[in-house]
Amino acid sequence: MPGPLEGVRIIEMGQLIAIPFAMKMLADMGAQVIRLESVARLESYRSDSVYQNDISGEFWNKGANFYEQNRNKLGVTLDLSKPEGLQVLRNLVSIADVFSENFTPRVIKNFGLEYEDLRKIKPDIIMVSSTGYGFYGPWSNFGATGPATEGAAGLAYQTGYLGGGPVMAEIPYTDYTSGEHTVFAVMAALMHRLRTGQGQFVDISQTQATSSTIPEVLMDFSANGRSGQRFGNQDTVMSPHGCYPCRGDDRWITIAVATDEEWQAVCRVLGQNGWAADPRFNDSFSRWKNRDELDALIGTVTSTWDAHELMHALQKDGVAAGAVLDSKDLLFDPHLGQRNFYEVVTHHESTGIPPLPYAGRPWKLSKTPAVNSQPAPLMGEHNNLVLSGLLGKTAEEMAELEEAGIIGYGPTNPRPVQRPSLDEQVRQGRMQRYETDFGEQVRRAFPG
Amino acid sequence: MTERALEGVKVLDLTHHISGPYCSKLLADFGADVLKVERPGGDPARRMAPFLHDEAGPEKSLVFAYLNTNKQSVTLDLKSEKGIQILKSLVEQSDVLVENFAPKAMPSLGLDYEALQEINPGLVMTSISNFGQTGPYRDYKAADIVEYAMGGLLYISGAYDREPLKHSFNQAQFKAGTDAASATLMAVYHQRLTGEGQRVDVSIQEAVATGLRDVVNNFTYSGAVRRRQPNHSGDLSRLRASADGHLIPNPGIGAGLNWNTLVEFLDLPELDDEKFDTPSARLVNAEELGRILDKYFIKQNKYERFYAAHEKRFIFGVVQSPKEVMADPQFEARNYFVDIDHPELGTLKYPGAPFEMSSTPWEARTAAPVLGQHNQEVIGARLGHTPDQLAQMRAMGVI
Repeated sequence: MPGPLEGVRIIEMGQLIAIPFAMKMLADMGAQVIRLESVARLESYRSDSVYQNDISGEFWNKGANFYEQNRNKLGVTLDLSKPEGLQVLRNLVSIADVFSENFTPRVIKNFGLEYEDLRKIKPDIIMVSSTGYGFYGPWSNFGATGPATEGAAGLAYQTGYLGGGPVMAEIPYTDYTSGEHTVFAVMAALMHRLRTGQGQFVDISQTQATSSTIPEVLMDFSANGRSGQRFGNQDTVMSPHGCYPCRGDDRWITIAVATDEEWQAVCRVLGQNGWAADPRFNDSFSRWKNRDELDALIGTVTSTWDAHELMHALQKDGVAAGAVLDSKDLLFDPHLGQRNFYEVVTHHESTGIPPLPYAGRPWKLSKTPAVNSQPAPLMGEHNNLVLSGLLGKTAEEMAELEEAGIIGYGPTNPRPVQRPSLDEQVRQGRMQRYETDFGEQVRRAFPG
Repeated sequence: MTERALEGVKVLDLTHHISGPYCSKLLADFGADVLKVERPGGDPARRMAPFLHDEAGPEKSLVFAYLNTNKQSVTLDLKSEKGIQILKSLVEQSDVLVENFAPKAMPSLGLDYEALQEINPGLVMTSISNFGQTGPYRDYKAADIVEYAMGGLLYISGAYDREPLKHSFNQAQFKAGTDAASATLMAVYHQRLTGEGQRVDVSIQEAVATGLRDVVNNFTYSGAVRRRQPNHSGDLSRLRASADGHLIPNPGIGAGLNWNTLVEFLDLPELDDEKFDTPSARLVNAEELGRILDKYFIKQNKYERFYAAHEKRFIFGVVQSPKEVMADPQFEARNYFVDIDHPELGTLKYPGAPFEMSSTPWEARTAAPVLGQHNQEVIGARLGHTPDQLAQMRAMGVI
């Protein structure tokens, strides 16, 4: 089924998440995304988290996060450190609508791939650069990953346990925040081009995108000069509001109470008539004032409940509550299942990876839904399709490019990351547990 | 006049609180005409802290002021027949309707997509909700912390041996708002090409669940369930305390990192050891490595190490307080914070462009509207109601 972006061609020089994630979203919706990668400098998501931790053979076609971030794209290898490789890239730009990249400006300038260079090749090109701190300015050439920009933006500073230091997400969180804004930015630029025929340069600062999502913090400082409070999971108004222990190992529920009626419902469901009548808790200001006491009390009762059962009981009585889903809960969540949130992707036979479910998108468009999912490309999988099919390279020229090492089908310097055994990872605490029959469980729930 | 990316896109904005208003703010800040329809008492976000000098008041909420730049405001009681009638004439004139009520609210007002699409077949109707418009949890309530829990981000966030910890404030709402703005433009793009409108269903839970790493795929690829990470996980991109705050001394990514150069830069000969010189070795000897690094960084100055590291191209990061963010030389060079003048709040510095566009820049044309500021202009002049009729509607509580 065609998506709304059918006919839009995007050249992606991306790495890790910020740009690959955004371009995946556009590819899902029908854009043709041609992802370029180097055989000499292997994308790190190709060398880590491989299927069943088995780094033998062509491990570079088995990386979990590579598959996660690059479905529905065409894959072309290209060594840009050689002039012939750069020439192929320029030829691709000449037939593209969008060129996107997330390298430092220094790299882009060295390659001669700035917007001013590209518009000479394709006057209406839209160029999108995503960098940690923005394409110009004193920090522009400072490389960054998610944690760095989470720190720079002000988000990490404000997050933490009551009375504790700052805490960050355990994922490159701001790659997604900026990636989400990148999808929007590309769409805005495409809308403008549709109306005027003009391209432009889009400069995404991952820090700026993130700071734009914390007005509660930045406006308070700007207007009132206030900062520095960390309040764990507590809210500035609601109470109870937190994450409470449930029955089982590392099981939790979240509860957020906004009104007196909801509070009465919490007391009812938890069977605590005494709390309902307790003057310390009987209006929202009193609850908020006594919130530490209240949180401790609630925890003593929730710990006898199953998290999912309590969630359903509270929701039935009109209280905002949610079980804290771990990896497995999230994958098998019946609600997400009924909404077909996960999409089963059939991998190439050569990889030995069975069909697996991957997270879809946070939107559903009724008339132009997403395209049918294709797996992320094997290394160099679409060299021929793109370079011969779109650029008209002959078989001889293709052979020459391969001979010169401009294109290829595997890394020139293969160095996989060997993860410790799962037992060791559980011992170190990185994993809560593992289940050896996961393959069967996944197959049953997602037959494909 | 500056060119605007979304010039000519007409948005009827029925949103409140955060997710919906951030969606329509993105559209408005890049040039769409956004008409915000508020209940006569106003968007509840007008009563959301923080306020200027902590004085509550419908025009004093700083978050409301931030979220509603470049929009017009009319008030309309959608529970009255006249209110619905006016809304429907506004639907006729719009490309987009965006709302974030509970899923049963719009149908209960007779404003479901099917009804609106009959009035305007080209209409893009975007709905943002906690769990989407379908499925068993459709009518479940949520707050940001519940979305973090149900989206899979909470379980892996926080200290290994404590309760999971969410990001402060309203990140899930902002994610969903951004996603809704993107999805809306995809549908408008299609509408501009074909004339066809459609329904866009955005789920806040799914907005969170889309932005994870090593969560679901840890299970599908190896059967493992990832937990909040212990302090010493071998991950070099972890936050560490310095003498004056915190920094993220991440030397580089994957195989691109030259360990010897790092050892030399830190002047820590004890790291010159095969226990640490490859990513695999560092994972095995994570605890020892973590202790050495903690002991070293606690004596350092965060900005000194940050700048020195970047001279050597190590990609260190620094944790900045709001004060430091607002004095950040990079933000200053890029004029990120902008002065906006508001009739009740005066001139304040606001976070500005989330990204820059060379030909169609982000702009703050107008401050957030006061409640009903454009009733006269829109319901009166544009829809052709006389001053008498407006007065009557006001008396009846329709506006």
